[in-house]
Amino acid sequence: MSTNNMSDPRRPNKVLRYKPPPSECNPALDDPTPDYMNLLGMIFSMCGLMLKLKWCAWVAVYCSFISFANSRSSEDTKQMMSSFILWPLSLLPSAAVLDFPE
Amino acid sequence: MKAVHAFCVVLLVFGSVSEAKFDDFEDEEDIVEYDDNDFAEFEDVMEDSITESPQRVITTEEDEDETTVELEGQDENQEGDFEDADTQEGDTESEPYDDEEFEGYEDKPDTSSSKNKDPITIVDVPAHLQNSWESYYLEILMVTGLLAYIMNYIIGKNKNSRLAQAWFNTHRELLESNFTLVGDDGTNKEATSTGKLNQENEHIYNLWCSGRVCCEGMLIQLRFLKRQDLLNVLARMMRPVSDQVQIKVTMNDEDMDTYVFAVGTRKALVRLQKEMQDLMVHFLTHYADKIESIHFSDQFSGPKIMQEEGQPLKLPDTKRTLLFTFNVPGSGNTYPKDMEALLPLMNMVIYSIDKAKKFRLNREGKQKADKNRARVEENFLKLTHVQRQEAAQSRREEKKRAEKERIMNEEDPEKQRRLEEAALRREQKKLEKKQMKMKQIKVKAM
Repeated sequence: MSTNNMSDPRRPNKVLRYKPPPSECNPALDDPTPDYMNLLGMIFSMCGLMLKLKWCAWVAVYCSFISFANSRSSEDTKQMMSSFILWPLSLLPSAAVLDFPE
Repeated sequence: MKAVHAFCVVLLVFGSVSEAKFDDFEDEEDIVEYDDNDFAEFEDVMEDSITESPQRVITTEEDEDETTVELEGQDENQEGDFEDADTQEGDTESEPYDDEEFEGYEDKPDTSSSKNKDPITIVDVPAHLQNSWESYYLEILMVTGLLAYIMNYIIGKNKNSRLAQAWFNTHRELLESNFTLVGDDGTNKEATSTGKLNQENEHIYNLWCSGRVCCEGMLIQLRFLKRQDLLNVLARMMRPVSDQVQIKVTMNDEDMDTYVFAVGTRKALVRLQKEMQDLMVHFLTHYADKIESIHFSDQFSGPKIMQEEGQPLKLPDTKRTLLFTFNVPGSGNTYPKDMEALLPLMNMVIYSIDKAKKFRLNREGKQKADKNRARVEENFLKLTHVQRQEAAQSRREEKKRAEKERIMNEEDPEKQRRLEEAALRREQKKLEKKQMKMKQIKVKAM
């Protein structure tokens, strides 16, 4: 056959579609950093809000930023936004510096 | 007598007033200077009030305005009184001070002395009421840190993107000459080459190539360093790491013989052996700065999956695969032009695909490989025997339960009866079979 040249290794009839690897095993193998940072961010923002500690609020800000930077594209944006929303809540009272002790 | 009596009353009155003043004066100097003379107190008070009040104006800050107004008033009054006193004194030198002159004046020394009663402490204006930059140093520091992080994110993301593009531009020709489909994200209806990398992350890029002899497809994964995360950048300063290119070639079943082969740096292979289920054979250690590891296998099933139920019940599906992991030169400080150095390695990959097809074990090797595989399977079956039995038992019970339910749910009594009979017959048959088996075993034992 003319198309089956020895020099041309391509085979159009043997094309397989890309299948993303199954997601059950992957999240465990992948880097867990974004999940941990998400969780830490939420915990710190809660602490900052309840215990009125300014440094907690700032650490929460950093945690959520780190989680965002390390996030996988397959992740739900809702999950990521949840920690992103919490840190302003804990930081805003401290922005009015009068409320929080230094 | 009456005059003396009146004088005593007057004395008493002034004495009580002076005693009150005596209590008010906590200052030792005032107490020391204080005379028994009824009217000397006024002199002392006047002089002291004049001398001390300016000082008081200076020291108290809180009631500053109030004190100055009062004292100014006092001063004016005092001066007025003095003048009056002077004029009066001029007129009546020998006479004692007139009470009426100092009527209004008595209260003011009292108020000034009452002020003396309160200890005057100098209090700094609290920090959070000040409007200076110093009170916001924590916020400024944190915001600066955040800005630095954001800057690093943007710079890192761009660098990774540029590196990926440089790699793809370098290798595009080679790939397109070898594969029909270059670049597919699996979402299009038709299998058309997207001709670009699939960005999974800020630091991971995928490329799927397919349509070639010998292999089903090739997945290339560019695993760059996390340049977008500042923490990672700082950690890398301690411990240099390289970008990696991971290539996984899935071979057709008929094109690869049964063997497992691995080459790589010791650290990489130790880790691979722990992680990969099929790496049980003896491997060579061969150093190459760019090659992290090469792993050919017919039993590749991916890394070990941790399962909750303990041992998996059957061996995972295996695929014939070639795996390559390459380190990008530069160990972190990579430039786009370094990607050209990887082109010969890609050539090697293509070459190995072809070679793997041609490579066949000799007869002995084949026998050995098959024996090994049979042994592994047997071991596995033994280990999982108990679990498999339990699983089979539970499945049988499930079946019975389902049948019973079906019989119960059946509304037609005729049908119900028939189904029940059928179930009974099946059970009887099973029992008979078991009995036969037992008999056979007994006969064999004998």
